[in-house]
This record gives sequence, C-alpha cells and structure tokens, in this order.
Amino acid sequence: MNVIEIKDLVKIYNSSEVQVKAVNGITVNFEEGEFTAVVGPSGSGKTTFLNMLGGLDRPTSGSVKIGGTNVWDLSSRKLIDFRMNNIGFVFQSYNLIPVLTAGENVEFIMHLQGRPKKEREERTKEMLEAMGIGDRIKSRPAKLSGGQQQRVAVARALASKPEFILADEPTANLDSHSTTELLELMSQMNKKYNTTFIFATHDQRVMDKARRIITIEDGKILSDEKFER
Amino acid sequence: MSTYFIIAWRNLWRNSRRTLITSASIFFGVFFAIFMSSLQRGSFENMVDNMVRFYSGYIQIQESDFNQHRSLNNSLQTYQTFQQEIENHPLITQSSQRIESFALAGSDENSFPAMLFGIQPEKEEAISGVSKWLSEGSFIKSGSKDLLIGKVLAKNLKIAVNDSIVLIGQGYHGVSSAGIYRISGILDFPLPDLSKQLIYMDLQNAQEFFSMPGLITSQVIMVEKPEQVAQVIRDLTPKLGAEMKIYAWDELQPELVSLIDGKTASGKVVKLLLFMVIGFGVWATIIMLMHERKRELGVMIAVGFQKTRIMIMIIIESAFIGLIGILIGIGISYPFIWYLFNNPIHVTGEMAETYKSMGFEPILKFGINPDIFLSPAFTILIIFAVLSIYEIWYVARLKTVTALKA
Repeated sequence: MNVIEIKDLVKIYNSSEVQVKAVNGITVNFEEGEFTAVVGPSGSGKTTFLNMLGGLDRPTSGSVKIGGTNVWDLSSRKLIDFRMNNIGFVFQSYNLIPVLTAGENVEFIMHLQGRPKKEREERTKEMLEAMGIGDRIKSRPAKLSGGQQQRVAVARALASKPEFILADEPTANLDSHSTTELLELMSQMNKKYNTTFIFATHDQRVMDKARRIITIEDGKILSDEKFER
Repeated sequence: MSTYFIIAWRNLWRNSRRTLITSASIFFGVFFAIFMSSLQRGSFENMVDNMVRFYSGYIQIQESDFNQHRSLNNSLQTYQTFQQEIENHPLITQSSQRIESFALAGSDENSFPAMLFGIQPEKEEAISGVSKWLSEGSFIKSGSKDLLIGKVLAKNLKIAVNDSIVLIGQGYHGVSSAGIYRISGILDFPLPDLSKQLIYMDLQNAQEFFSMPGLITSQVIMVEKPEQVAQVIRDLTPKLGAEMKIYAWDELQPELVSLIDGKTASGKVVKLLLFMVIGFGVWATIIMLMHERKRELGVMIAVGFQKTRIMIMIIIESAFIGLIGILIGIGISYPFIWYLFNNPIHVTGEMAETYKSMGFEPILKFGINPDIFLSPAFTILIIFAVLSIYEIWYVARLKTVTALKA
C-alpha cells in the first residue's frame, strides 16, 4: 500500500542571474514499512526533495500525496498540524530543544498532539528504552553525546506515531560506532513498528542497511532499486 | 500553557549572563525613574505645601469679585453657621480668616508702602507657622493691638521692637484709616520681597483699622492631603452664600501650577530618553536572541509547533525578562524611597541658602505615591509590548527551510 505518492515534482530556485532546477520532475511512490535511502552527490537535489516531501519547502509544480492528502493544498496552519501528526523528522544536527530534557523532547510532539499525560509518559519511556537510552531520560541534550542526541531525535520522531520518518543525513555528525548502533536501532524500529523510513544520505553504511535505494542526480531519479535485507 | 512557561523560563537561563545584564538595565531604568519621580513629586508637594501654608491655603473662600478686584469693598461677611460647617467637616484640619490689603507705614524718619495682613494669630500660626521667622520680640495674640513687621521694612523705617509706627490707608468703601501701633516682633522672612513689605496684625485690629467690622477678605482652609481638596469643595459649595466663591489652591496660584507643569514635562522628557535607551538595549538583546535561535525555531515549526504558539512562547520569555527587571527595580527602590520619605535629606551650605531665599525649607522631600512605582513598570510593559511586535513579525516571516539551514 502506497503511503506517499509523488507526481512530477519540480523545484526551481530563481536567483538574480540563473534558474536552478533542484528537482526536475520526480515521480515516485513509497510503501508502508519501507526503509529507503535517497542517495546522490552533493547538490543532486535529495535534501530539496525530502523537504518538499516533508511539507517544509513548497514545490514549483507537482504533487505530494500522503495518505491521500495532497499536502501542498493545505493552508500553512493545517500543513504544520499535518506534519505534526504524520511526519517524523530526524535532522543532521539532532536539533533537539536544548532547554528540554531528553524525556521532554520526546514528549514534546505528543504534548502538541494533545495526548494524555499518562500515555505520553509511557510512550516516552518506551521509546527511549527502545533506543537504549532509558537511563538518560532526565538529561539535557548538552549532557548527551552526539550519538545519544540522535537517538533521542529518533525517539522523538517515532513517539508521535507518524506515517513515516524523514531523516536528512542523520549519521553525518556521528562516529562510526554510533552510526552502526543508530542504524541498527532504526532498522529494529522500522521492523517493530512498521514505520516507513526515508533517508537522504551519502553514507555507505546507511545504503548497506536500506532495502530500497533511489539515486538522484541533477534533480532526476537516476535509479530506483529494491533489495532483500 | 505551562509548557510555554517552562520553555520560556528555561530559555532565559540558557544565557544567564545576558538575561541578568538585560534585566539589570531594566532594573536601573525603573530604579532611576522611581527615584526621579519620587524626588520630583516630593519637591512639588513640599513647594505646594509651603505655598499653601504661607499664602493661599489648600482652599480659599472669598467674595466672588475679590480675586479679580482685590479691594476691601469686595469683602465677605462671616456667618456663624457656615463657620460651624467648616469646623465640623471631617477632612478640614485648620481654617483661618484673613484681611489682605495695603497701607502706608511711617516712622519718625521714613514711610514705606506695606502689605497688611489681618490674621487670627493662633489659627494662622497653626497653618503657616509664621512665628518660626520671628527674629526679635514676641508673637501677637488674639485681641492684641500690636504688630509684627518684616525685618527689611523695620530696617527701612529705622524702628525696632517696642517702637511705634503709623499706618495710613484706605478702608472699607473709601473710609480713611489711620492708627499708631507698637511693634511686638520682627519677622525675618527668607524672601526679601516679603521682608520689605509685610505687616501682620490681629484680625479684629485690622477690621477696626479698615472700618470693616465682621468682614474678611478671605477664609483659608487646610486639608490633610491635596487629594481631599476636591471633596471638600464639593461639600462646601452648596452651602456657600450667593456672594461667596470657593477656590482650590491651583486656581489661586496659576504661576506655581505652571512651574510644576513645566518641571513635570522636563522630567518626563528625561525619563522618556532613559526608557528609549533601555528599550533599544532590550531590542538588541531580543534581536540577538531571535537570530541565535533561528534554527531551533525552524525545527519547532517543522515538527508541528504552530507559529502562533512560538510567538506566545517568545513573548512570555521577553515578558519574563521585563518582569524580573521591574520586580527587582520596585523591590529595591520601595524600601529605599520609603526610608527617604520618612527621613528627608536636609540641604546645607549655599544650596540651603538658595532654598531659604526662595521661601522654601532647605529640605529634599520624596513622594511615595503608588503611581510613582507603577508608572515606570507600566512604561517597561509598553516597551515590551512594542518589542513583541518585532518578535511576532520575525516569527511570522520565518521560512522553515531557511531557518533549518541557519
């Protein structure tokens, strides 16, 4: 079953001198439970693609349908709510809220969703334990290592029970050991909760874990391959 | 809502030094504004108190034309029943009757024009404390036929205590007035203009001199607080006779009101400049704060935090900075001002002489009215309300993708 349907997606950046087609007519679908890596060299358009997919950057043309909803038809207010309820984000620089503890960061989106306190607390504990950092629930981000912070970011993304998770270069700032551990945990979460993961990456270790690899170059899909892993 | 408060409060202490410096600038602004306002208010109240005690009283009742044409012909009959009303009014602390006119004062050697005040000595003393200026001799009593005279006038007339002077003037409806009086005491007024022309005599004595028995030119009324003036005027107005008119002190002393208004306006300009400096300082802090957290705000919007919620959170955060400054400012200035209110600063040296020469006590008094403390707090809140427009504008135009790259 398709979770995401993307059709003829185009993004053109107009600078004063030139027009840059960052994404040039991408059509692709994603199914529930996929573990996909969108790969390509720097400037290939993968981050722009992911931003449009996540409702962060408005496309010049084309459509992004998530669970049947064309996200770019939504008002900006409804789009923010849509993101909150349907999309989880993991960023390269972790981007946790520094004044909140690990637990509070994980709880944050559920709080915005208006979930009951008890459910939030149980889910937070479950997610952090699943990510192997249950004992750091009261630690502020500054007291955590990069790998631990990224685990909190994954727990935060998963806690709100999104349709899918978009991870933009999630391992770029991590050492080899942390990367391996994080990918293993994300793979487990993908299998356990059947949550769709879409990565933008050039990290070979992510590609090695992905069951689908979409290669983008010059804003176009160069290849789309699936693997049994 | 509690989450907003938690995030806002913790954000304050992410850079505690900056928060403390910003709050300190607000604190100093509030403190100095309160100090300035308190000193200015205290000085004005002291000035008014001096002037009303010595001259007009807080309230004055006159014949309806007397204020325009200061002639004895525009004098007032005193009614026993009305006097009773004044004495029984709970807000009136003192009252005294006066005759104000002019006469020519002559001695063996000279003659000079004099301002002649017929007073009720005991009551006048309770209001204006004239006896504190007595440099020689003794104060007059009710029924006394003697006079008190300004020191410069006495010097000009070359007379001393127990000497006699002749007064010649025009009495009620043009009657010639003349009399010879003994000098009971000499008053050394700090204001030279008063010292060279003032003569005090007992009211009854003045009524005889001017041939106006039972008449006065004014009835001076004192209240405890200036704020009570309007109430007393409201209460007495219906009981006034047709020929009477009642005035508040500010109607009788428009020059003093203008002086106070002018000084208040200049004080406001100084405070405005002070708060502008603080406002720009706080604005700079808020600009830094917003730019530093641009990415964080982008992440919040990306994960589902509505912009309106971010605006509320940031406004709460800056309101916290303002409130810390305001509360510390008021918290520290209140006991300080309270102490100065109860222990005014006594001015010494040349400054004291200047004060005296202007007819004021050489003392720096402080006011402690609630608006002195609330006004700077309110001004700071307005500054923050204006700055919140910038915050709202900043968040409203924030593009999520650009913010995430910041």
